[in-house]
Amino acid sequence: MAAFPIISNFQYDFVLQLVPVDTENTMDEVAAAAAHHSIGRRVVAQPDKILRVRRYGAEEFLPRDMKVADSGIEPTETIDIIFADE
Amino acid sequence: MAMIERTEWYDLLRATNWTPKYVTEDELFPEEMSGHRGIPIEDWETYDEPYKVTYPEYVEIQREKDAGAYSVKAALARDKFLERADPGWISILQAHYGALALAEYGAIVGEARMARFSKAPGNRNMATFGMMDETRHAQLQLFFPHANCKLDRKWDWAHKALHTNEWAALAGRHFFEDIIHSRDAISMGIMLTFAFETGFTNMQFLGLAADAAEAGDHTFSSLISSIQTDESRHAQQGGPMVKLLVEKGMKADAQRLIDIAFWRSWKLFSVLTGPMMDYYTPMEHRSQSFKEFMQEWIVGQFERSILDMGLDKPWYWDQFLRDLDETHHGMHLGVWYWRPTVWWNPRAGVNPDEREWLEEKYPGWNDTFGKCWDVIIDNLVNDRVEQTLPETLPLVCNMSNIPIVGTPADGWNVKDYPLKYKDRLYHFGSEPDRWCFEQEPERYADHLSFVDRFLAGMMEPMDLSGALKYMSLAPGEIGEDAYGLAWADIYKEMAHKKAG
Repeated sequence: MAAFPIISNFQYDFVLQLVPVDTENTMDEVAAAAAHHSIGRRVVAQPDKILRVRRYGAEEFLPRDMKVADSGIEPTETIDIIFADE
Repeated sequence: MAMIERTEWYDLLRATNWTPKYVTEDELFPEEMSGHRGIPIEDWETYDEPYKVTYPEYVEIQREKDAGAYSVKAALARDKFLERADPGWISILQAHYGALALAEYGAIVGEARMARFSKAPGNRNMATFGMMDETRHAQLQLFFPHANCKLDRKWDWAHKALHTNEWAALAGRHFFEDIIHSRDAISMGIMLTFAFETGFTNMQFLGLAADAAEAGDHTFSSLISSIQTDESRHAQQGGPMVKLLVEKGMKADAQRLIDIAFWRSWKLFSVLTGPMMDYYTPMEHRSQSFKEFMQEWIVGQFERSILDMGLDKPWYWDQFLRDLDETHHGMHLGVWYWRPTVWWNPRAGVNPDEREWLEEKYPGWNDTFGKCWDVIIDNLVNDRVEQTLPETLPLVCNMSNIPIVGTPADGWNVKDYPLKYKDRLYHFGSEPDRWCFEQEPERYADHLSFVDRFLAGMMEPMDLSGALKYMSLAPGEIGEDAYGLAWADIYKEMAHKKAG
């Protein structure tokens, strides 16, 4: 376990933000950590959607249960957090 | 004693170089300070500044200007304008003074570099006056706010801001150290006087002077106008430098310097002047929107002046024009949301009538930036103030050192422009910001942005309180909403009526 800073590019928000996560966090946990700083602050919640994570500029989402340590994401790398149907 | 007519001696005086006997010309004008680029000194003697003035004329004019500005201040001191001024207007003044007063001292160094190291005698002559101009500007803009320190500690930030690690002050220092303090006399002259002053000082000073007069702040209006008339003179030093470089086949060099300085200036103005004009100035006192002002005073005039010099529009010009619709709205939203991190009190400026004005000036505003404000307003209406305050840091650009923002909601286009350089990951807010870095990576590579410093453990504890301490923001100086959030009351009433 180790603290791990990522940069959140949260869909529909206006700014990139620093978000501290942990190498053992799954992508769902990363998305939830990022959501804490955007949803209900400047972005409206969408309860019928789930939040998915992808590396910045990538088209494919990372598996929801993938851990940060296994994702290839570098410290302070920007990731997109996107509202998705599944 | 009979005086010789000015026309009989002025040109000889302003074009005179001396022949060094004890040192070589290269020792007298070392390239790294002078920036003569191998152009012979005889060619530098052809440098022809458009605005000419003698020392007695200068002193007489400046004396009158000072007398005007100081007497208006003295005459209106009893008027107690600040005690009845809109809080948004006070925020403009406090932000302006903190960002610029000490930067004027920095500009003295720039003028001094030209006065000592430029090979063009006409430039040295004008820069000597420029040094005195900037001294006057620094002193005026420290003295005027100082009188208000008894009202509010934020006025003290005129002197304090640039000595701190407050994030906007870091951004300002990074910019001024790049274009003024670490360049040779000619590069500095082009970047500071041609790109920044010709391009942007008009913006801050003419725009604010107009808004100040409208707002009834005649003290600030006369101060700013007094400074602006100096700027319009000494800003003309860069033009003849560009002309000579173009004539000598160094157009690309001049173009690159202008492209860097213009973009960097624009980013600073997008966070400072944009919010002031479109959100802080009470609506009834706005003479033009920020975009309209930029289009009239920057786009039109600057475009003409660079084309007249034989240069091209900067390569990013189309993007710059597009950004006039967007960037400063994001900067404003960010500064308001992270309001504890600035030395002034941001004015939200999003009442229903103000939103209507924003929508008219920037079609689509309600579906983009307005949607973020909808969430903020909903939180305020329902007394969830804590949701309108930050719990983390925004990422800041490794060039502009201001937040990386974009358009939210229906127009979502927020982008990062990363770059790996020597194993370090840098982030930039735009392609031109990254391009500036790539022009000379070693110039910028070692600088740590505010976020880099946070991650490096330079702020203890690693939370907002540690960040505020690092920024030297003490209680009484920490920014709050300009109206103490009372502007949201109208939305509470609307919600109450709707609920029935």
